[in-house]
Amino acid sequence: MTTETNGTSKRLRILILDDEPIVCKRLKPAFQKQGYEVETFTDSSSAMDRLKETSFDIVITDLKMEGADGMQVLSTVKALAPETRVIIITGFATLETAKESYRKGALDFVAKPFKLGDILDCVRKIEQEQRGGAQ
Amino acid sequence: MLQRLKDVLAFWRPKERVLPFGVLFKKFQSILERNNHILELMADMGDKLGGEYIFDRQYILDVAEEQADMVFKLISDLSILTQRKNVELFLAFEHIRQAIQEELNGTHTTSGKSYVIPLRELGHDLSEQAGGKMANVGDIRNRLGLSAPDGFVISTRAFFDFMQQHDLLTLAREGIAAWDGRDDVALVQLSETMQERIMAAPLPRGLSSQVLSALDDLAQRNGMRNIRIALRSSAWGEDGDASFAGQYETALNVPRDQVMDAYRKVIASTYSYKAWRYRLFKGYHEHEVAMAVGCQLMVESVVGGVLHTYAPHLADGVMVANAVWGLCSPVVDGNSPTDTIVLDRAAPYTLRSLTVGDKRRQLKLAPGGGTEWRDTPEGLHDVPSLTVEQLEHLAQAAMSIERYYKRPQDIEWAYDASGTLQILQSRPLRFWAAPLSTEPQLEDVTRNAEVVFSGRGLVAQRGVAVGKVFVVDHGTDLNTFPHGAILVSRFTSPRYSRVMHKAQGIITDVGSPTGHMSTIAREYRVPTVVNTDVATSLLRTGDEITLDATQNIIYRGSICALDRFSLTEEDVFEDSYEYRLLRRVIKHTSPLNLLDPHADNFKPSACRTYHDITRYIHEKAVEHLILLSERQGAQHLSAPKRLETDYPLGLMLIDAGGGTTCPPAARTAAPADIASIPMQEFLKGMTCEGMWCTDPVSVNLSSFMSSFTRTFSASLASPNEVGRNLAVVLKNYMNINMRLGYHFNIIDAYISDVINDNYIYFRFLGGVTEYIRRSRRARFIAMVLEHFDFRVEVHGDLVVGRLKKLSRERMSLRMRMLGGLVGYTRQLDARMHTDTDITEHAGTFITAMKQFLGA
Repeated sequence: MTTETNGTSKRLRILILDDEPIVCKRLKPAFQKQGYEVETFTDSSSAMDRLKETSFDIVITDLKMEGADGMQVLSTVKALAPETRVIIITGFATLETAKESYRKGALDFVAKPFKLGDILDCVRKIEQEQRGGAQ
Repeated sequence: MLQRLKDVLAFWRPKERVLPFGVLFKKFQSILERNNHILELMADMGDKLGGEYIFDRQYILDVAEEQADMVFKLISDLSILTQRKNVELFLAFEHIRQAIQEELNGTHTTSGKSYVIPLRELGHDLSEQAGGKMANVGDIRNRLGLSAPDGFVISTRAFFDFMQQHDLLTLAREGIAAWDGRDDVALVQLSETMQERIMAAPLPRGLSSQVLSALDDLAQRNGMRNIRIALRSSAWGEDGDASFAGQYETALNVPRDQVMDAYRKVIASTYSYKAWRYRLFKGYHEHEVAMAVGCQLMVESVVGGVLHTYAPHLADGVMVANAVWGLCSPVVDGNSPTDTIVLDRAAPYTLRSLTVGDKRRQLKLAPGGGTEWRDTPEGLHDVPSLTVEQLEHLAQAAMSIERYYKRPQDIEWAYDASGTLQILQSRPLRFWAAPLSTEPQLEDVTRNAEVVFSGRGLVAQRGVAVGKVFVVDHGTDLNTFPHGAILVSRFTSPRYSRVMHKAQGIITDVGSPTGHMSTIAREYRVPTVVNTDVATSLLRTGDEITLDATQNIIYRGSICALDRFSLTEEDVFEDSYEYRLLRRVIKHTSPLNLLDPHADNFKPSACRTYHDITRYIHEKAVEHLILLSERQGAQHLSAPKRLETDYPLGLMLIDAGGGTTCPPAARTAAPADIASIPMQEFLKGMTCEGMWCTDPVSVNLSSFMSSFTRTFSASLASPNEVGRNLAVVLKNYMNINMRLGYHFNIIDAYISDVINDNYIYFRFLGGVTEYIRRSRRARFIAMVLEHFDFRVEVHGDLVVGRLKKLSRERMSLRMRMLGGLVGYTRQLDARMHTDTDITEHAGTFITAMKQFLGA
């Protein structure tokens, strides 16, 4: 991950994918307010297209969707850019899906509904890790 | 008394199959558990509206299903406990469940066949029926308590019936589908065809008669003969995300006989070229078009105008108003000189500048309908049209509206002949929204700000507030609460709802986001953080602070950039479909209509929400358990044990499991044998000598205690227990039925380490003295109970107090207090001479009890 040397680090880039627009609508301004760059998608195929075009620091994706589901997105992301951190958000949280997503390389697994503060903390932690790692 | 009689009658009912008390008691406990669970789900749903959570449609479906399931099982539990079928309860449940299902499917219709909805019923939840603009006016009037001209709305249902009846919707949809998107002439033609067809089409059957009769009602209610109406467009989405400013028709000063024509004109304006163009530009689909029409009394405006709550092009932190004599439309149309007034956005809304326009003409209502220009009287054209007081009032109203919608507002207003400020409409102000990249980074703005505290407590309603602290406590006269202040208090209290329209924000030391106050704060959308522990110790009245209830940080000083950011967020979450849907579902689950168990409507068929059903079942279950404990106690349980104390309580104990350490066959129990937690505490309170020392009545405890068991009417008790008081005890539970002289007292309590299961139910009824003194004593009890956090209902000399979900320690203290209270009250009614005695006795008791509990 690139970090500028003069102390001000590059803005973290986040892709959010959820087929329920309300999730994107709520998350986008919240992350922007923290100074992150955010792109949101409500269908997985256009999100996957975008992922092939450019890399993101963090991908936040829903699990159950029409077309490619969250697991497929996770696999694609990991194949394209292994260093990208993936957070799974789902309303159908089971131990099995949680295990599977961790096995496939997801960093975190968050059950919906969740507190805005929790996911912000999660992203903040990743940011700190990356800054720490680059120093 | 009637209840007692019923209980006695119930005692003589033919015998039912008798289940072991333990089994039934388990059922009772399961009812309590489900009850808690359902109420928690309700609180949870309410909590989600605060914006702290990200939830989606799936959550609403899930929670609705879970709740329905729990309520169904709850009714089934009651059926087993009482061994009845409860058909009416199941029917009520099915009715509610179906209504919720319809909301979820989007097929629910609240207005029935009616084409007309009165303004007093309007709010954002009816925006589908009433359109955006009138739903806003409804909020402003009904929720924010501001004045708006009385009236009603002709619903979107009327629009659909009208348009479908003549295939006009099909014409529009097919027309636009066939249009190539470029040919302006073709769009103009389509638009003209549509408008001509609309103006020529007959109205649906019943529409005219409903509208005219609503007009007549309106005229009668306001004592008018020749009613004059303003008709305003109120389309789907209008005044929501898109302002549609000036796109649709408004008709002013319309007499009764021209109203239906004016209605057609407003409907036709939906398809004007400019409106259609605007919708296409905004990305609206043709099936998203629906037009409701607001009909409001015409305001004979003395001075009117427009206010923008935000004017960054003029200066930072200001709002701007333009005003003219007469009607405000010349300001909107921009065709005559106006006064321009620039004010601070923050209270006390100091005047920054005033430019007086040369207002030679004014627009007035014409006697025959419509409007006309008149010359401004000599000496008025170059003086300010608004007084300082009017300006302040206008600014307050404007900021209330802005805070509610969380966006800068463009408000049309008028002062009428009586000097009342009337809000005519309000829409979001969007033109100034600068791209985010040119804004200073928020981190830079807040980096150097002093944080008073952060991450303390829980966000009950998200948002940002900038203002001065006003610390409030039990004794504060809320009338002194200044407009635009941030309320800081030790406790949460629903009583603060009185000032919520004035408050910018709320911060409390204790409280929960699911409490009543938080619910109300969400309704008013006041940014609120509760349970911070430290607010009242760190903040003083007059401190200028910024409450960021999105990050949960309190900064010292005003950080306007934060405020600005929250005002420029792309979407206001409260306006999204999911929030509207959840609010509509909650309407069927959470409001409580069955308040009084002794009222006629306390019956299954009157249950309109899940809350009503749970409330009814809880009451019936408690009632049934009391009945059971009396009957089974006499018939099936192990031998009742007489409690041996220094005080002649005459208390018979029934140990239904772990309530005492005595052998089953024992006929007496000493206080040391009591293992029941609530009973232990209750007895401690009863035998407390400490509090009596400060008692001005100075009664000898044992002498009046002995009167507990003296004569009372035999008809009040079942034969086996004459002269005895009865208690059913378990390890964590106590149900006590006490007859103290002629008074009858029930305490039902469960105290354990599981906070959510804990409750105390306290009921007190009766007395030997005349009614007025008895009701004084009832009020005394109510005051004391309220002081110790009970929720209290008083009906004459009946007092019902309820307490739930406190920790074991706090519950225990309150049980001890009840022991003392039962003793203290015993002799009181004979000494309650005047109403002032109530407060005196309450004061004495509370002081003494606090010392005792504190010791």
